[in-house]
Amino acid sequence: MGNLMSASFAPECNEVKTKYDNCFNEWYSEKFLKGKGAMNPCEQLYEDYKACLGKALTARGIKNMLDKSREDAPFEVGGRTQDELNEEIGKK
Amino acid sequence: MKFVSSQCSFEYPWDYVSASAWKKYPNEMSSHVVAVDVLRRELNPETGLLTTERLITCRQPIPRWLLAIVGGRDTSYVREVSEVDPVKKTFALRSCNLTMNHLLSVNEVCVYAPDSSDSSKTVFNQTARIEAYATFQRLCNKIEDWSVERFRQNAAIGKIGFESVLQKLASTVPDGMFKEVHTA
Repeated sequence: MGNLMSASFAPECNEVKTKYDNCFNEWYSEKFLKGKGAMNPCEQLYEDYKACLGKALTARGIKNMLDKSREDAPFEVGGRTQDELNEEIGKK
Repeated sequence: MKFVSSQCSFEYPWDYVSASAWKKYPNEMSSHVVAVDVLRRELNPETGLLTTERLITCRQPIPRWLLAIVGGRDTSYVREVSEVDPVKKTFALRSCNLTMNHLLSVNEVCVYAPDSSDSSKTVFNQTARIEAYATFQRLCNKIEDWSVERFRQNAAIGKIGFESVLQKLASTVPDGMFKEVHTA
């Protein structure tokens, strides 16, 4: 299945990313979709991957762009923009 | 400002399509997507929603007239936040460009949901709001038209590419979960 995995933008993170992706994909199909997702066996793998990414995002100057976008479309509201949120309120 | 949308249907149930959507890239059709990274992912214990923030790295040829304006970079970044509701069976992805955004903003919303008339199929809705910010209206129009055209092209090849991923994965699923569907 190696050829079906996407790469990281930071090649130095590819190895930890692949391990994490494999773990996540199995959890998603076998646990999460079946309503048994509460336990997450991939947490430690994700921490490793995230630590690698964090360095790369700062070093390559992507973090600033991300932070701007996070203000416009926060994670906490599923990436909705203020316009979208207003529209949804209007519909209710 | 322009709105553009595209719809299509996949001959697989939502569970299978949603699991495969995480493995959509790489596929031979969408070679402009060179990397996909998970920046943050959380499962909300109360709502049951899985929220994921990803960074998508693209490398796509840019026309010469536009290259002069953006300064010769061919790598672009997109931030995407998605929500999966495993009970309602919806997978919504919202994305926005991080690069070239002083010139152009492309806000896209994609949703995978079961076909309401046939649960063995999944419908995919994709809409984008495209807005260019240039000093001259004529240039705005030109940039927006180019973006709309690229949206259409990418939507068409995106479907073919994902279709090939769905087929490939279907042949590698060991057993259980989705098997009854592709032999049908």
